[in-house]
Amino acid sequence: MRLLVVEDDRDLNRQLVKALGQAGYAVDSAFDGEEAQFLGETEPYDAVILDLGLPKLDGVSVLEAWRVAGRKMPVLVLTARDGWSDKVKSFDAGADDYVTKPFHIEEILARLRALVRRATGHASSDLVCGPIRVDTRAGRVLVNGEPIRLTSHEYRLMSYLMHHIGRIISRTELVEHLYDQDFDRDSNTIEVFVGRLRKKLGVDVIKTIRGLGYLIEPPPSS
Amino acid sequence: MKKPYSPFSRISIGVRLVVVAMMSSVIILVGAAFVLSEIYRRAAERAFDERLHVYIQSVAANIASKNTANAFDPYGLGDPRFTLPLSGWYWQIRIEGSAPQNIFSSLSLFGGRLPRLEDLHVPSHDGSSREGYIIGPDERRLRLVERALELPDGARYLVQIAGNADEIEQTIQNFRTALWTAFALLACVLGVTTIFQTRFGLLPLSRLSNQISSIRRGLSDRVEGEFPDDIAPVAGEINLLIESNRDILDRARTQVGNLAHALKTPLSVILNEASGQETPLADKVREQADVMRDQVNWHLERARAAARAGAIGVTTEIEPALAGLQRTFLKIYSERALTIELNCSSDLKFRGERRDFDDMVGNLVDNAAKWARHQIHIEALGLPVIEGRNFLEVTVSDDGPGLPAEKRKDVMRRGQRLDETVPGSGLGLAIVADLASLYGGSLSLEDSELGGLRAVLRLPSL
Repeated sequence: MRLLVVEDDRDLNRQLVKALGQAGYAVDSAFDGEEAQFLGETEPYDAVILDLGLPKLDGVSVLEAWRVAGRKMPVLVLTARDGWSDKVKSFDAGADDYVTKPFHIEEILARLRALVRRATGHASSDLVCGPIRVDTRAGRVLVNGEPIRLTSHEYRLMSYLMHHIGRIISRTELVEHLYDQDFDRDSNTIEVFVGRLRKKLGVDVIKTIRGLGYLIEPPPSS
Repeated sequence: MKKPYSPFSRISIGVRLVVVAMMSSVIILVGAAFVLSEIYRRAAERAFDERLHVYIQSVAANIASKNTANAFDPYGLGDPRFTLPLSGWYWQIRIEGSAPQNIFSSLSLFGGRLPRLEDLHVPSHDGSSREGYIIGPDERRLRLVERALELPDGARYLVQIAGNADEIEQTIQNFRTALWTAFALLACVLGVTTIFQTRFGLLPLSRLSNQISSIRRGLSDRVEGEFPDDIAPVAGEINLLIESNRDILDRARTQVGNLAHALKTPLSVILNEASGQETPLADKVREQADVMRDQVNWHLERARAAARAGAIGVTTEIEPALAGLQRTFLKIYSERALTIELNCSSDLKFRGERRDFDDMVGNLVDNAAKWARHQIHIEALGLPVIEGRNFLEVTVSDDGPGLPAEKRKDVMRRGQRLDETVPGSGLGLAIVADLASLYGGSLSLEDSELGGLRAVLRLPSL
């Protein structure tokens, strides 16, 4: 899952990027409205954390520009202004949730999980497929109830595939959603990760569709 | 020391102008009427005297021509009124320096005598003739003209002619009646034109006052239109005053907002630095940062409310505001399958700021949503006029567990001590109650027909 954090306060931006990185997200950051608008329109983010009080271009305008451009990723608005008028304005501009400053980072993580889950059509924070369970709250993967030790990249890959269960995901899409923009992207590494992941899981859930990408098929019962 | 107001200071300008104009018109007209009737009286007397003098001329001519028999003939002068007894018209000739029987008079005098004006101390203007009023033998008022004659042979006569003074009085009376009628009509016309003129002259003032009252009632936001040069500066000043009032409020609000932003971002940083560490210091920092957050929220809310309560002529259409809140809450609680029903009679306008309305109703719905099981009803309606003021009522009902009656007061109490109020619940309702009373409205909590709590927010409307 790849996120964009838009916050002009350097300290807060750094804290958010760090906490979100630890929670298993690939994170890009922007410090002003124009940069945010550009990144949001060109990069495929799975969710955005957007501060409203931004230099150059305010948050609501950025959000409106994204929605006009057809970008539908969930947006969590972050603001010091906690009046209901501001909230109504943000939601009307296309926000999906709202957190007022000052906040506990745990609250942001919980809201983000819910947003991503809703956006991919899942009802629970546990994503289950046969013997496999991804606990997005704790950020771990269990096979038959046994936790598996994964690196953060492996977890991101697993989590992305499980969020989009039943859909063929191309390598390019995986690259775009698993790494932040500064990462040296090489789609061959995906193959390596998938191989390692299959070995660690010990069960054959990730199918390779030749020429198209990867797929986790939902169990026949569901 | 305040200077005491004069009892006249509250009388309207229109009434002042009309009263002063009317009073001076009446005084001038009455004075003019008196002067005119006096002038007319003199003219009428002179004309009458002139007629009497004509008779004296003819008597004098007869005496001078020694045609005494003719002169003293009781039937002389030809006018029949001098022969009718007590007709009010008399003549009398005295031969001076001789016995009293040497007095000749008209038949109409019927043996009576006319007094001498000289004896009555009536002054003479040319030394030989006099005019004046006497009471005649018939107790009537007469106008008497007399003239002393001295012939070259030394004989001296006093010729007197008297006419009925009622004739003079009658013409003067007729003239007066006509004069007073005309002047009364004139006064009425003047009065009507004065009222019209005052109304017309003061029209721009009443237009200005209407505009100001419509600004106060929130129907417009500035004084519009052209005004005469005299009061155009006043209209301009009022607009400037309204603008500066708005500017000050805007600035205060922006500053409060900036302060909020400036404080809350560092608070977030502190909170986040402390989170994830389990040291006593980190715990203390987290705890105190939370207290600071609540304090900042509370005081900023109050500062904002105080800054905007003085706004002049601001109104909010509540239907779009409520619809916006409904959309927002449906989105916030999209996972909980809450139904939020909105029932609002359109055209309702809250006399106050949109932000405040959003905050009050937003907090109420937020509170309802926290407790509601499935549904929330928002209803807005106008109330009948109370003591000349309009109010509207917004009710927010939920089907949650409700709140026991004895706890309702506590929830709305304007707490000074924040540690007693849980952020997000008690604080929210206290802020609503605070804001509502700043606007002269109120918040009350009741049982809802849905089973939970019903919050009734009463606010001033247009």
